[in-house]
Amino acid sequence: MLVIPGRRCHTCEGPTRRELMRVGSIGMLGLNLANFFAWQKSSLAATKYDGARGFGSAKSVIMVFLQGGPSHIDIWDPKPDAPANIRGEFKGIPTKIPGTHIGEHMPMMAEALDKATLIRSMSYTPNGLFNHTAAIYQMLTGYPPDRVSPSGQLEPPNGADFPTAGSHVSKLKPPTEAVLPFVELPRPLQESGVIGKGGAAGFLGKAYDPYRLYQDPAKPIKTEDLSLRKEVPPERLKDRFELLKGINDSMPDLEKALKSQAIDEYYGKAFDLVLSGKARDAFDLTKEPDKVRERYGLTTFGQGMLLSRRLIEAGTRFVQMNWPAVANGNPEVDSWDTHAANFAPLKNLHCPKLDRGLSALLEDMDARGLLKETLVVAVGEFGRSPRIGVSTSGNSNAPDGRDHWPYCYSAVVAGCGIARGAQYGESDQTASSPKNKPMHPNDLLATTYYALGIDPDLIVLNHLNQPRELVKGKVVAELWS
Amino acid sequence: MPSSKSALSLLLLASGLTAAETPKVNFLRDVAPILNKTGCTSGPCHGAAKGKNGFKLSLRGYDPQFDYEALLYDLSGRRFNRADPARSLMLAKPTQQVPHGGGLRFEIGSAYYQTIYNWIAQGVPFGDPAKDSVRRLEVEPKEILMHGPGESAVVKVSAIFADGGQRDVTKEAVVESNVPDLAAVTDASVKGARIGEATLLVRYQGNFITVPVTVLNPKPGFAWKALPQNNYIDRLIDAKLERLKIQPSPATDDAAFLRRVSLDLKGLPPTPAEVQAFLANTSRSKRADLIDRLIASPAYVDHWTLKWGDLLQNSRKYLGEKGAFEFREWIRDSIARNKPYDAMVREMLTASGSSYENPAVDFYRVTRDPKPTMEKTTQVFLGVRMVCTQCHDHPFERWTQNQYYEMAAFFSAVGLRPGYEVGEEILYDQRQDYDMKHPKDGRVMNPKFIVPATWSSAAKPSDAPPTDAGRRQAYAEWITARDNPFFAKSTVNRVWSYFFGRGIIDPVDDIRASNPPSNPALLDALTKDFIDHNFDLRYLMRTIANSRTYQASVAANEWNEKDTENFSHAVPRRLSAEELMDALSLATGVRPVFPEAPPDTTAEQVTDPHVGKDGFLDLFGRPARESACECERRSDLSLPQALNLVNGKTISDAVADSAGRVAKAILSGRPDRDVVTELYLASLSRPPRAGEIESGVHYLEGGSGRAARAQDLLWALVNSKAFLYNY
Repeated sequence: MLVIPGRRCHTCEGPTRRELMRVGSIGMLGLNLANFFAWQKSSLAATKYDGARGFGSAKSVIMVFLQGGPSHIDIWDPKPDAPANIRGEFKGIPTKIPGTHIGEHMPMMAEALDKATLIRSMSYTPNGLFNHTAAIYQMLTGYPPDRVSPSGQLEPPNGADFPTAGSHVSKLKPPTEAVLPFVELPRPLQESGVIGKGGAAGFLGKAYDPYRLYQDPAKPIKTEDLSLRKEVPPERLKDRFELLKGINDSMPDLEKALKSQAIDEYYGKAFDLVLSGKARDAFDLTKEPDKVRERYGLTTFGQGMLLSRRLIEAGTRFVQMNWPAVANGNPEVDSWDTHAANFAPLKNLHCPKLDRGLSALLEDMDARGLLKETLVVAVGEFGRSPRIGVSTSGNSNAPDGRDHWPYCYSAVVAGCGIARGAQYGESDQTASSPKNKPMHPNDLLATTYYALGIDPDLIVLNHLNQPRELVKGKVVAELWS
Repeated sequence: MPSSKSALSLLLLASGLTAAETPKVNFLRDVAPILNKTGCTSGPCHGAAKGKNGFKLSLRGYDPQFDYEALLYDLSGRRFNRADPARSLMLAKPTQQVPHGGGLRFEIGSAYYQTIYNWIAQGVPFGDPAKDSVRRLEVEPKEILMHGPGESAVVKVSAIFADGGQRDVTKEAVVESNVPDLAAVTDASVKGARIGEATLLVRYQGNFITVPVTVLNPKPGFAWKALPQNNYIDRLIDAKLERLKIQPSPATDDAAFLRRVSLDLKGLPPTPAEVQAFLANTSRSKRADLIDRLIASPAYVDHWTLKWGDLLQNSRKYLGEKGAFEFREWIRDSIARNKPYDAMVREMLTASGSSYENPAVDFYRVTRDPKPTMEKTTQVFLGVRMVCTQCHDHPFERWTQNQYYEMAAFFSAVGLRPGYEVGEEILYDQRQDYDMKHPKDGRVMNPKFIVPATWSSAAKPSDAPPTDAGRRQAYAEWITARDNPFFAKSTVNRVWSYFFGRGIIDPVDDIRASNPPSNPALLDALTKDFIDHNFDLRYLMRTIANSRTYQASVAANEWNEKDTENFSHAVPRRLSAEELMDALSLATGVRPVFPEAPPDTTAEQVTDPHVGKDGFLDLFGRPARESACECERRSDLSLPQALNLVNGKTISDAVADSAGRVAKAILSGRPDRDVVTELYLASLSRPPRAGEIESGVHYLEGGSGRAARAQDLLWALVNSKAFLYNY
C-alpha cells in the first residue's frame, strides 16, 4: 500500500479533505450536487484480493449489534449434556442446518438459518479493561481501547479514537447516491456514563460519524428535516446558502477558530440530502404493508430491523442497528447484560424479539434479492459465562445470572454469497472456548471489510498522520464455501 | 534446548557469582516489582478479577500480601522447588519452559530470572513491610523544560524504602504521558513532539509521582507585549504565558463581549435594545457594570438553576413530576438567594423528612443506594471519581477499595419510605441494620474519610464511628469544610470551565494527582478567594467575568494560535441546546412551545428532560440527567443538527411566522436598511457593517417578495457560525 505523508493522497483514497470542502462549497452554490457523494468514487487501488472468492461481494452491511452480551449457550449454542449449572434451563431444537441445534426460544431462526452461517467460535481475550465499553470498542473498531480513565471507564469518544467500522466504510466506500451513508439506530452504544464509545468516526473526523437516528422506529419517525419544504424550492435554498456563505466569510477570525469543526462539510451534506429526498422516504415505515411490519414484530427491535432493510434499499452503506435496551440493572428491561435473571427474561422478552426480528430480516432481504449484495451480521460484544452465578468480570452475579464471556460466543452472518445453512467453528463441551476455527472479532471485521471489497490490510492515517492498519485480522474466506 | 539447570550453571559461572555472594532479596522489595513490570499482575493477565488459568494476583500488584500468599499457598506450594529453584513453576512458566498462556515474560538468565532464582533459593522471604515497602518516589529531573519540539530527556526514578534505603528503579517504574502526542514516552525517555505542556505519571509499587513537561516554542523573535491586567487572574495567567512565550490576545470588542457575557451569565444573548444601549454607553466601567446587572437579573437565576439541575440530575424519571418541580424550586430558591455554596451542599447532604416539605431530600432520591450516592457526592462536590475503587484500588490514585466502602458507609443509614401523598417519600436514618460490608470478606466498614479531617469542627469518625444521622452530618461537615482540599477547588474549577469551555483541571470532575492543573497558582488563588468570600458563587463569577482573560478576543496571533490549555485567547463554544433555542426565539420573535410547561416558558426555564423530550433540545445535546458527569452534555455539531438547522421545522417555521420578527418588520413599513439592521442586532447581537447593510438591502430589493427575502436573510443569519457559537 502506497502511503504518502500528509492528510490524503489521490493514489489511494480519493481527494483530500480540503478538496472535499471545495467540492462541497461549489455544490452548495451550484446545485449540481449529485456527485457530492460520489467524490470518493475513485475506488481503491487494486488489491491482492481482486478476484478472490467473496471479495467485494457485498455493497452494504447491516450490523445487528446485540449490545450487552447475549448468552450464547442459551440462544445459539445449547449444551444439553453439560451439567445443570452450565446448560441452564433451556433445551435445544433442531435447525435447518443439519445436526445443529439452537436454543428452544429461537424457533423462527431455527428455520431461517437455511439462509445464514452460524459461527460458534467467536473468541478473544480482552486486552486491558474488561467491560462493555472496552468490548464494544474492540468489536467495532478492531482495536483494544488504549486510554482508560482512572474512573475505570474509558474516556468519552474523542478525535483520537479508532473509527467504528461504519465510519471507515462510509469513507472508503461512499454511497453513489445522495443518501445517508451510515445510519445508527435506535440508540447509542452505551455503558454507564460512557456514551457512543466505539460508535464514532474518531480520527476520521466527525464528518464520518453515523447519522444518529435515536428514535423508536415502532413509533412514527420524525425526519421532517430530510424533506425539502414546500415554501423553499431549490432556487430559494440556493439563495439562502449564498447569503450564509457571505455572512460566514465576513468574520474571518471566527472562521479560523472553527476551521477544525467540519461545519461547512455538514452544511454541504445537509444541503444535498434535502434536495434528493431519498433518505426521507426510507424512514417512512408506513409505506410498508401491515403484514410485513407485523412479521418483523411491532417492537423497537423489529421495526428497527425493517427500517434497516429500507435504508439498505435506499442505498445506505452501513446500518448499525443496536439492541434497543441498555444495561441498567433492571431485569424487567430486555438488556442482554443478564448478570441476574438470565432465564425468564430471555425466554419472555429477549428471544422472542430477536427471533422474530432477525428471521424476518433474513427472509425479507432474501425474498427481495437484497441479501445477494448485503452482509448481515448479528453479534454482541461478548457471550456469557457458561457457568451460572459466578463472577468472571469482577461484577457480582445473582445465582441465576451469567457474567461476561469473551472467550467463546456466537454470531450469525448471512448474505453476499456466504454459505447458507452452514455452521462455522465449534465450541467445546461447555461452550467455554472454541474447539476449532477460533474467530477473533478482528477476523470478523476483516472479513466484513473484505466482503465490501476493502482490503483489510489497508493503511489509514490517523489524526497525527501516523499509518495504522485498518484492522489486524485474518479474512475468513471459508465462510463463502 | 539445554536443560534449565545447566543453563543456570553456565550463567552463574559466567557472572562469577557464588552462593555466598548472592544479594539478599525479598518479595516486597525485589520480586513484586518484577511481577508488575513484566505484566503478570496486569488486568488481562493474572490481575484479572478472577485471575487467569487458575492463578490470581492483585490488579497491578496493589495487594502484595495477597500476591505473596497466592504464590506460596495456591497449588499447595507447587510453584517453588527450593531444592532446585530453576525447576520452580514460577521460573519455568514465564520463561516458557512449560507452556504459558502469557508467553515469554523474561529469558533464562536475565536479571529478573536471577532475582527470582535467588529469592527461591533463599526460602521465599516476604520481607518486612516496616522496612521493605516503598514510602515514596523521587525523580530526576523534577520538571522537564524543552526549548523546542524534537528534544528529549530521560527520567531517573528512585524508590525510597521505609527503612530509608534507596534504589534506582528506573527500569521497573512505569512512565506514562497524559498527552502522548506532545510528550512521547519510551521506557523512561521522553521526547517533545509539539509545543505545549504535558505531565508524566511515574508509577512504582503503588506509589506515583508526576513530572511536568514543557515544550517551548522555538521560534525566535518573541517579545512579550504586556496587556492591561484587570485582576489577579490576569496577573497569574500572564505570568505563565510569558514564561511559555505565548502572547495573549487582547480583550474583544464591546459587541462580542456583551454577547459572550450575556450568554455565559444568563444563558441568553442580549436584545437589540441592550446591544444599542451598551454600544452607546461611554462609561469606563460599563463592562463591570454590565456584569453586575447580569448577575442580578432573573435570567441569571434560571440559567444556573438549569446548570445545577443537570449536576443534581433533577428529573421526573427519579423524582416524579411534582418532585422534579419541587426540587427545581428548591435549587432556584438557593440560587436566587445566593445561598453560600457550602450551605447549599450541607442542606442537601443532611436533608431528612418529606420530599415535598424539604425537596433537598431529592438529592438522595435520585441515586437511592449508598454507593452511587457516595460516588455522586465525590464527583459533583469534590471532582473526585471513586467509581473504580468499588472493585479494586485506584490504579492512578491513592484511593483504595477499603476507602470506597468506608466512604459509602456514611450513607448506609439512609432510608426512604413512601410518604402520605402520591409521589412523596420520607427520608429517615435507620436505627439498625445499616452496616456497610466489604464485598471480599463481609467485614463491617466503619465510616472514614478519604482524606482525614484535620479541622476542629468536624467529627473524628475514626475514634467513634457516628451512628444514624450523625454519619451524614459528619460527612457534610467534612465535605464543606474550608480546608477540605477538594471542595472549593473543584467548585471554582468547574465554574471556570463554564466560562472558558475547559477547566484549569480538565475534565473538571476527574481531579487526581495525575491530572494536574494547567495553572496551579491560578487555581489556588481562585480557591482561596472563593473561600475567603464565604463560598459566594456570584462573587466568583463576577471575578472571572471581569478578567481580561475571560474577555479575550477569539482572534489568535502567531504566538498563541496553538495554545489550547492556557486561556491565551477565547475559544468559540457552540451554544448549548437551551441557549440555542432561546437565542432563536429572540432572533425570530417566536417563542418555543412546550406543551408540558406553562406558556412562555423558555428553554432555560424547563424543569427537566421530560419537557420537550426527543425534540430540538435533545438533538442539540441536552443531557438526559442520567449521570452526574459533565460529559453528558454534548456540544459538538453533527450532520443531523445541520439538517435540522438548514431544513428543520424549528428555524424554517420561525423565520416565516406570521407574528414573527420578519413579518412585523415588513408590516411596519420601515425602510429596508432598518429591517436589515434589526435582523443583525436580533441574531448576531451586533449592528451590520456598512457593506452588510448595503448587500442586505440589495438582497431585499431583488427577486420577488420582500418578506420572503427578509426571511432568507434571517435564515442565513441564524445559520451562521457567529450565531451558533459563543465566541
